[in-house]
Amino acid sequence: MRRVVVTGLGAVSPFGPGVKAYWDGVRTGTCAIRPVTLIEVTGFRCRIAAEVPEPVPGSPRRSRTDRLALQAAREAADDAGLGPGERSQAGLIVGAVGGGMLEVEPWYWRLGQAGAELRPPRTALRAILPCSHADVVGHALGLGGPRETLVTACSSGAAAIAVAAELITDGVTPVVLAGGADALTRICYMGFNALKLLDPEPCRPFDLERRGMSIGEGAAFLVLEDADHARARGASAYAQLAAHGMTSDAFHVTSPDPDGEGMVRAMRAALAGAGLAPNAVGYCNAHGTGTRQNDRIEARALREVFGAGGLLVSSTKSMIGHTMAAAGALEALATVLALRDDTVPPTATLRTPDPDVPFDCVPGQSRDTALECAISNSFGFGGQNVTLLFRRA
Amino acid sequence: MKASVVITGVSVLHSSVVGGRAALADALWDPGEPAHRHVGALPDGLIDEIEARRLSRVCQLAVAAGRLAVADAGLERGAELGLILGTEFGDFSSTRAFADGFLTTGPAGLSALLFPNTVMNTMAAATTIALAARALSLTLNARTVAGELAVARAATAIAGGRARALIAGGVDHVDSLVAGTLPVLDEPAVDGEGATFLVLESGEEARRRGARVLGEIVGVASRALPARPHGVGRAAAARAIPAALEAAGLRPNAIAWVYDSASGDSARDAWQARLLDGALAPGAPPRASLRPRLGAHAGVGALGVAAGVWTMGAGRLAGGGAVRLGPGLVHGVARGGTEVALVIR
Repeated sequence: MRRVVVTGLGAVSPFGPGVKAYWDGVRTGTCAIRPVTLIEVTGFRCRIAAEVPEPVPGSPRRSRTDRLALQAAREAADDAGLGPGERSQAGLIVGAVGGGMLEVEPWYWRLGQAGAELRPPRTALRAILPCSHADVVGHALGLGGPRETLVTACSSGAAAIAVAAELITDGVTPVVLAGGADALTRICYMGFNALKLLDPEPCRPFDLERRGMSIGEGAAFLVLEDADHARARGASAYAQLAAHGMTSDAFHVTSPDPDGEGMVRAMRAALAGAGLAPNAVGYCNAHGTGTRQNDRIEARALREVFGAGGLLVSSTKSMIGHTMAAAGALEALATVLALRDDTVPPTATLRTPDPDVPFDCVPGQSRDTALECAISNSFGFGGQNVTLLFRRA
Repeated sequence: MKASVVITGVSVLHSSVVGGRAALADALWDPGEPAHRHVGALPDGLIDEIEARRLSRVCQLAVAAGRLAVADAGLERGAELGLILGTEFGDFSSTRAFADGFLTTGPAGLSALLFPNTVMNTMAAATTIALAARALSLTLNARTVAGELAVARAATAIAGGRARALIAGGVDHVDSLVAGTLPVLDEPAVDGEGATFLVLESGEEARRRGARVLGEIVGVASRALPARPHGVGRAAAARAIPAALEAAGLRPNAIAWVYDSASGDSARDAWQARLLDGALAPGAPPRASLRPRLGAHAGVGALGVAAGVWTMGAGRLAGGGAVRLGPGLVHGVARGGTEVALVIR
């Protein structure tokens, strides 16, 4: 069985460009959820989000998400030291949801009034589909291996990392760039408003007084590599991706199974794949959206697998909001760095622990503690559950 | 590939033809132009009343195709079943309806029921719920090759022992705005709708339960070819075809027939022709594409794989002439460079 290791990291987050900015922000418990500037929010109850600060580098002819994806992917590939030879065989798996919708929405908004007179924006329309990001990144970085775009709602970034690992363990290619990207869009912002899932204040995952989620945007990519291949070219590893689990609730289009059964199966599949007992895992970077229902069900599932208080649990979304397709990748990245630094990032906005969440959710400040293994949970609409299990390199 | 991957069920919903393996001939063997590229009314029993009321058209097509495929394979719906679904356009009609609610009446006009449909995995969600399929569920988005990619990903998962049975294929319902906009992007207009799902299992699993095997996927590969985003490449060297042939343990001259992804996009079609000519030389097996007759979307892409099953039984290409009986190739390449190849025996 081939071992899969992480040899490169890249991120663009609401803290700005780069892994360092992201990890500095997360590790220090800084909340980057601020008033929305990218889109009109008049008439909506929630008017905040975690936006990536301007300027987002890249050609303005590219969609914001394409630019976020390319910047994060380039940082990851450079960090891993991938040369032309590695890149020509490297796979690329991208988790995406909103595609280039942000740039097309203004045209559609005006289409009703102007009708056929309004000229379609060719460049924006060409980038509207989620698969656009993979084509932009793959072309720019010269990646010649398998190229896929996965859309599994809010677990897309994590699913991309899981599928990338399978490409390596199956022996298809020894190197894969995997992650997720999403920019804020009107559709997404309005949709979560319509579902009444947004907190008008920065979200407070696992807090007794939590009132919903905050949305965000960003991108993150990991370079996954066959451990032998990495060693042969002298690349150092941040961590090992020891196993993963992917399951479906088959329960409801938006609501998770109230028993968290699908989440439990995903976590147990990851443990079984790694050959680990639950007590080997010291930290869970939770999906932790801040909605009453999601946090309660995830806590129930964690208790079922690890036992009450069995591991530290925290939510990165308390600082960067829910970055949609990027979330699973940004959170995987935080999990990897937690292992590297023996530092668990906090649930920054947690003030009053919820007794229904029987875990130390690391309120306010990060925690220094020795870690050997950690998991990152990502769940999404449609009952999509992904657990990534990382182990110290 | 490690374990053998066999096809044990098929569903087709195309051009007024709805059914399992028995419907393949009707969907494929029509040398004339179809009257239209829409499925039409779904037969009674495929969608229940609540689904008919709540699900969008493309979700209804996916659910119906899922039920037909599972029935065709003689499988029980249930926990060990997974789904890998390819789509090119998602549920764009629902996305427009959601936005229109806001544009006509402001925030109060936003529909919480429509919002989940704006995410492309909505068809997979509806289908897994209908089939109680609780294993792996993935949605793949790609231009042109989404259906073929989904089948290839499923075959890899079965071969790797990560799933016992997977439904895999493609579904699309092309929104009128999408259909009208593509020519502005210098791409041929596409219209229509359709779905094709296949049921894939390991050969061992199929034998264990006594399933009738329709065909075997003996090699799959996907690669990226050099090309600008939305552009076609210059290179004539395919990457996925040699990799799929190697996985199958076959030489190029073993390929007896090819289903390709030619769609009327002249630049892309010419590129694909060069790729196939180069990869299969000196052989030149007969080729066919289903897209000119049935539409260009993910449902037709997956139908190419099902068509391979039919061709091996019928000894002829869809809408075309007789072919030598032997393994065949299903090949797709998209603008931007994503290439996929499946070898079927």
